[in-house]
Amino acid sequence: MSNLVGIVLVSHSLELARGLADLASQVAGEGVKIEPAGGGPGGSLGTSGDAVREAIARADCGHGVVVLADLGSSILTVRHLLEGKANGHVRLVDAPFVEGAVAAAVMSSAGQSLEDVAKAAEDARGASKF
Amino acid sequence: MPASSESTVRLPAGVALHARPAATFVKTALRFRSRVTVGTVDNVGKVADAKSILAVLALGAQGGSVLRLSAEGEDAPDALDALASCVSGLVE
Repeated sequence: MSNLVGIVLVSHSLELARGLADLASQVAGEGVKIEPAGGGPGGSLGTSGDAVREAIARADCGHGVVVLADLGSSILTVRHLLEGKANGHVRLVDAPFVEGAVAAAVMSSAGQSLEDVAKAAEDARGASKF
Repeated sequence: MPASSESTVRLPAGVALHARPAATFVKTALRFRSRVTVGTVDNVGKVADAKSILAVLALGAQGGSVLRLSAEGEDAPDALDALASCVSGLVE
């Protein structure tokens, strides 16, 4: 499916980004592009602007991309990358990593707009776990 | 004045409203304009927005339990029909 909003998960840890991408894909089902971008050079903990750029390119099906990041410098990496070319098509959202990713994935798989997918991720902040 | 409807439906035995089944349920609710909520008969006070995966997951509805659906809006009856058949057809 190519008419869905893509999702990029940026973490200091590639394992964390990949694991979350697997989880969100399993819940939302096939169709949504959920791309992990994690770790620094040589598999170290960190974030890489190149890895994020490539993940955004893979996730982008022309209907927008929502980017979630885990902590601190991963946010800065994404911000730095998007600086100057913010056209609203790629959106960094301020959302809890796990819940936001799952909420965004399900909204996207239902064919919702970039606006609604981003909002679902951000609204995840207020969701109780039980 | 928007229509408002309610119904109950039982989850298939062995299919909890979690992960993929919950997402299938939420995606069905998202097809409608009406505001839709879902609760469990076991825990009457707890009601979730049927269009929010996190809220539906937090309900923790177990397989075989009865869900209480409520919809408000112009397509409320259709939403409830679709959700009832979605729930009875859920598989793990």
